[in-house]
Amino acid sequence: MSEHDTNGTAEGAHAVQYDPASSRYDVFECPDCDNVVLALGRDDPPMSCHGEPMQRVADCDITVKPPDVRQVLLDAFGLPKAGLDICLCVIGEGPLSANEVAETLGYDRSTVTRYLNKLVDIGLLRRSELNREEGGVVNVYHSVDLERMRRETLIGFYIWAGEAAALIEEANVTKQDYMDENPDRELPDVFWESFPDD
Amino acid sequence: MERLDSQSDADTEERTSVDALATLLATDERTVREHLQRLESCELVDVGPDGRVRITVTGEELLALDLDEMIIVDPEATDRW
Repeated sequence: MSEHDTNGTAEGAHAVQYDPASSRYDVFECPDCDNVVLALGRDDPPMSCHGEPMQRVADCDITVKPPDVRQVLLDAFGLPKAGLDICLCVIGEGPLSANEVAETLGYDRSTVTRYLNKLVDIGLLRRSELNREEGGVVNVYHSVDLERMRRETLIGFYIWAGEAAALIEEANVTKQDYMDENPDRELPDVFWESFPDD
Repeated sequence: MERLDSQSDADTEERTSVDALATLLATDERTVREHLQRLESCELVDVGPDGRVRITVTGEELLALDLDEMIIVDPEATDRW
């Protein structure tokens, strides 16, 4: 991926532009319609459109702000850095109690439990209930298969990226509709009215 | 834990000594004690008043899951009693 100085959509010297030669990922498009796809881990077009192989995007001028992995995990999965810290803290350590994890990382005990459950919800950990000798149960959190984790996080991110892409497309359509139907209203008002705050 | 499981039993409360475990594992007692302490904090091992140890029901169930990945035991959060 190449560094790209720009006054465009991203901020200054840290903006990046799609570089088809980087081989980190590829963006393909259909020459006959609006279909655009993202592909990881392959050189060939991932699919055809209108019966023809899609073509690697070669003329994209837009620049983007490079993603920060912590922000991506937070935005896409709702996983703050603390959640990842918990995973990293115990890898290769054998069984640890939640108390030990909390002490090691300097988090509240309740924070550790909350993020353990968050990691289960995301699919990065599994939870099993084991019986206690004194009665009741304990929760045991354990990692999923690495290959499964890779697949789950990638697909999960693609879902998030798809939602983001749909929002951008919706914004483009909103702008177009406004220009066609509401020439007397201010564009910002119409635009933001179509994306109400949660 | 596998070695402790082979030398003790939760149901019969059969125990073994730290010394015997250290011999089995070909390591020193201090290392074994540190590891057992960690397992005890996870409620996977029970240390008796005489220092002899055994695996717990929780420990046996954990081994039965046959996990070899990252494991965190969280006893307090789900205490239903």
